[in-house]
Amino acid sequence: MNDLDQAKPIIGGTDLIVAIRQAVCSPSHIIDINGIPELNYIKEEGGFIKIGATTTHSQVAGNPLTASTPALYDAVSRIGGPQIRNRGTVTGNIVNASPAADSACPLIVHDAEVEVRSVEATNIIPIEDLFVGPKINCLEPNELVTEIRIPKPPTGSSSAYKRIGRRKAFTLSIVSAAVYLQIEGSICVDAGVAYGSVSTTPLRVPEVEELLRGRELTEENIIEASEVVKEYVKPLTDVRGTAEYRLDMCPVLMRRALQTTLERIRWVR
Amino acid sequence: MKVKFELNGKRVEVETTPHTSLADMLREEIGIQSVKKGCEQGECGACTILVDGLPMTSCIILAPQAEGHHITTLEGLEHNPLMIDLRHAYIENGAIQCGFCTPGMLISSYALLRDNPYPTTEEVKIGIEGNICRCTGFNKIIDAILDAAERIAVE
Repeated sequence: MNDLDQAKPIIGGTDLIVAIRQAVCSPSHIIDINGIPELNYIKEEGGFIKIGATTTHSQVAGNPLTASTPALYDAVSRIGGPQIRNRGTVTGNIVNASPAADSACPLIVHDAEVEVRSVEATNIIPIEDLFVGPKINCLEPNELVTEIRIPKPPTGSSSAYKRIGRRKAFTLSIVSAAVYLQIEGSICVDAGVAYGSVSTTPLRVPEVEELLRGRELTEENIIEASEVVKEYVKPLTDVRGTAEYRLDMCPVLMRRALQTTLERIRWVR
Repeated sequence: MKVKFELNGKRVEVETTPHTSLADMLREEIGIQSVKKGCEQGECGACTILVDGLPMTSCIILAPQAEGHHITTLEGLEHNPLMIDLRHAYIENGAIQCGFCTPGMLISSYALLRDNPYPTTEEVKIGIEGNICRCTGFNKIIDAILDAAERIAVE
């Protein structure tokens, strides 16, 4: 890859081959990294859940480790259809850098990091740094994402991912939201909030995370935090939905995601 | 370039180009007619095949990516007992109209019942959510799959 700056690595190809066919992208060479068996895994190691680059949505959804990252399970277990889940990978979904990428928001709220490797160096970066613009990632032509690592969530925590689309299968979400909460007693001690399809990249909303921390998650506080979201997202109008509709749906998804997360925490107890 | 893989249990070697899709190679170079080309974007499921046993859409796989893998099309399941039950159930439930989606739909139905012989209606819907049928409205297909599941249970 050092000598071929117009080359593209391919994993599942569920986005790349469509982009090539639509002439959005015309690589000089395609390098299939599925032939590297060492990159196919999901495992727990050193306090992290680690997902190798060639690991498919089905493999992640079918692994018991995702029980501790329910938002990621919500996303990958229903992304595309069975054929896409068997072929497409979580790593491919994020490096494709679509603002609507289903696995992006769950990984953001779980504070995931990615391992970026080139011949010269290996760097670990927060997953948000990967997203630069719509379908633009931060990678140099000679760099590969080789691993996604998610800090093992503490007890008393859970997460959820909710989306609105025209139909359940295959559609890009009109808007989506992921929430992560850690509760001690009745107080929220840590929170993660991220939205898909409301900006040029998947978007973390730190202001709302800050608002949730240290608070009791009563019905009123949930509604307040859900409404505040509207001040920090700037959705656009496109073929899938209008900016106004998206903005109106942001609090709705937030409320649903917060409620599901709280139910999951209570259920585990 | 040459690609070597196993097709329906037989080892084959096919001459193709790096940018040919697996769907095109199966249809044009080998003459496998059950693989239908609908959307060619991996969304309609008409070109669904099994790669190492898992349903995938062959239109968004490059032919060279088949190298070393086990590819199964509907032709390879002709005498498979589960597929025979599914075929009868499809016919008797009126689950086929124009037939264009049927091969892909049968492959997805097969993988579903192979992995989950007692599916709920909701599980059946998820199992075939990657296959689009523009004729039947899906109800008869869902009925057929549930019927096939009952036939297997009786056997």
